[in-house]
Formats: sequence, structure tokens, C-alpha cells
Amino acid sequence: MPNLIKKLPSEIKKNKLKTGIFLGLSAYWGIILVGTLVQFN
Amino acid sequence: MEVFLPIAEVSVNIVAIFSLSGIVGILSGLFGVGGGFLMTPFLIFLGVPPTYAVANEANNILATSVSGSTTHYLKNTLDYKMGLMIVAGGVFGTLFGIWTFTYFKDIGKIDIVISLAYMYILAIIGTAMLVEGLGEIDKARKKIFTKKKLHVHYWIHGLPLKMRFQKSKLYESAFTPIIIGLIVGFIAAIMGIGGAFILVPAMIYIIGMPTKLIPGTSLFVTIFVSAIVTILHAFNYGSIDLILVFMLVLGSIIGVQCGQKIGEYTDSTELKTLLAILLLVVGIAIAYDSFFAAETIKEITRININSLNPLSIFIKKLSIDTPILYGLFSIIFAVSLGVAAAFIRKFFSNIKKKFFNKKNQ
Repeated sequence: MPNLIKKLPSEIKKNKLKTGIFLGLSAYWGIILVGTLVQFN
Repeated sequence: MEVFLPIAEVSVNIVAIFSLSGIVGILSGLFGVGGGFLMTPFLIFLGVPPTYAVANEANNILATSVSGSTTHYLKNTLDYKMGLMIVAGGVFGTLFGIWTFTYFKDIGKIDIVISLAYMYILAIIGTAMLVEGLGEIDKARKKIFTKKKLHVHYWIHGLPLKMRFQKSKLYESAFTPIIIGLIVGFIAAIMGIGGAFILVPAMIYIIGMPTKLIPGTSLFVTIFVSAIVTILHAFNYGSIDLILVFMLVLGSIIGVQCGQKIGEYTDSTELKTLLAILLLVVGIAIAYDSFFAAETIKEITRININSLNPLSIFIKKLSIDTPILYGLFSIIFAVSLGVAAAFIRKFFSNIKKKFFNKKNQ
């Protein structure tokens, strides 16, 4: 785990596209889930 | 150029409907999936109420699946026995789906249920396709080849009532296609889609059918599922609008035939990634429409039936007075156009072959 955290910044720099897609998808899913909860409350 | 839909009681742009159904048809012909769950959201965005969008798109899917299935019948790439087993489950799934649809309609929540269903389905499929597509492109660039196991067995392969499926050269439980049909029928009834996005992966990974039989068998199943959905929607809600169906069917059939032809000449790996992005964008648009867009109170104006044109009056009266006959007529109309399109394509294909044979002699 500490190795993973140490490697994270270099991995993000190496795979900017993959990181961007991952963040985009996370935001998308976050909006959908939060929106659903708000809708039914 | 606007046209008034007598059943849905909204005006839509003919060019927009025709163009969108053509483009969605091309995508559907190219990838084998994506017709229903792209077109229904597009219809909702164009102002067609969700319950009418679902029903009319089911009728459209009937036509395109008949067209595609007829093409596969002519090429003898259909497993009828497997298809009929899936249809057996699909019938019950559809009935349960219509019951669920009726329940949500009665409590006034059907519009939000349809929107949420599309949002999540598009998100799941878009994410899965994007990750898979990017992974394939990445592996191709790095020239990594992974060996996959020929057969993977799950708990579903241990079910009883095993049967032989001669065409697919399989020996497995009848419950497998029936359960898959149940799920497909249920989702098709609620969302007005064909269900190919569940059926095709299930046929590949769970049933283990040969690849060449999958598109034809999937389309064959879709015929029955969408026919049942169409007639139940026509009988229960009177929501089939023949004018809308005609525009959708014409655009889709032409689009699907073009898409299938384009698919023969292109590599679909990178295009699959673009389709995934499109699905996610449509999902975002539905999410925005459902969660953030201000609710507009639509004025309900009673339409005087005598102010409509004769064709609209005829369609309106037929749907009110004889809903089952109207539903059957919608099905026959869609099936006839589908079969005609397949035979027209076969006819031009034969002419092209004869022309090239003569040229080479």
C-alpha cells in the first residue's frame, strides 16, 4: 500500500489519458447516484 | 417541417425523426446493438412522452429485427430451437414487465422510472464498452495477446432438463435460455428496447453459441419479444402511433442495411469506443433532464378530433375502437416493411454479383 501511494503521482503522469477517463467516469457515476438519492428523498 | 402525431398528441420534426432513426439504424447495423436504447431517449428529447416513446420504439425494433432476421434466414445462420427456448422465457418476462410498467404508471412514477432505467443502463453499458474498447486498443498497440479459456463453466451450466441444440452443437439445460429470455423480456417491456445488449453477451459467454449464429438468433428472439410488447402497449395504453412508427421504421431499416454493409468493410474496435462515449453522453443528457432541468408545466389542450386530417382521424378512431386490431395492424405493417427491405437488399446483392461476374468473364 505505501508503495502504491508513492508510485501514484508518477503513474498519473504516465497515464494522463487513463487517469482523466477514470476521473470522468467517477464524476459521472457520482452525479447519477447522488441525483437518484436526492430524487427519492 | 412539423407533423402532428394523433395518438401521442405532440408535434415532431419529420426530418429530425427520420435522420435520427437512420443514424441509430446505421449504428445498430454496425454493432448489432444500440438501436432501442439510443432511439427512445432521442424520442424523449424531441418531445415525445416517455410512455409513447417506449411503445413506438418497440414497434420500430420489430421491423428492424424482422429485416435483419430475414437476411440471416436467407443465409441459414439461425438456431430456431435455441431462439424458441429464449422466446418461451421472453413471453413471461414481457408479461411481468408490462405488469410492472402498469404498476408504476398507476402510481404516476413511470416517467422517472423509464428515465432512471435508461440512465443506469447507458452508464453501465457505456462504461463497460469504454473500458473494454480502450483495453483492446491498448493491447493492440503494445502487441499483447492473452489466451482465453475455451469454455468457462458457471452454476447455470449445472441446471437440469438438458437438451441437444443441433444447429449450435450444444448440449445444455433448457433453463439457461429460458432464464435469459425472462430477463430480456422484462427489460424490453419496461424500456421499449430489443434486449440484444443482454442477449448477445449471454449467448456468447453463458450459452456458448457459435458466433455466426448469434446475430440471427438474437434478432429472431427480438421479433417475438417486441411483437408482444407492441400488442400489449397497444391494448393496455393505446400508445402506438402509426405515423411515428412509419417515420421510425423507414429511417431505421435503411440505416440498418447501410450499417451492416459498412460493417463488412470496417474494423469496429475503435468505433466501439466512440459508441461507448456516445452512450455515456446520452446518459448524461438524460441525467441532466431528470435531475437538473426545470420542470415545465405543459398545457393540456384537448384536441378536437374533427380538426385533424383524415389519416389522423382514421388512426385515432382505430386505436380507440379496436385496440387489438390496431396493435395487430402495427405489427403486420412493421413485419411487412422488414421482410420487404431484406428481399430488396438480397435482390440488389444478386444483381451486383451477376454484374461483377459478367465483368470478370
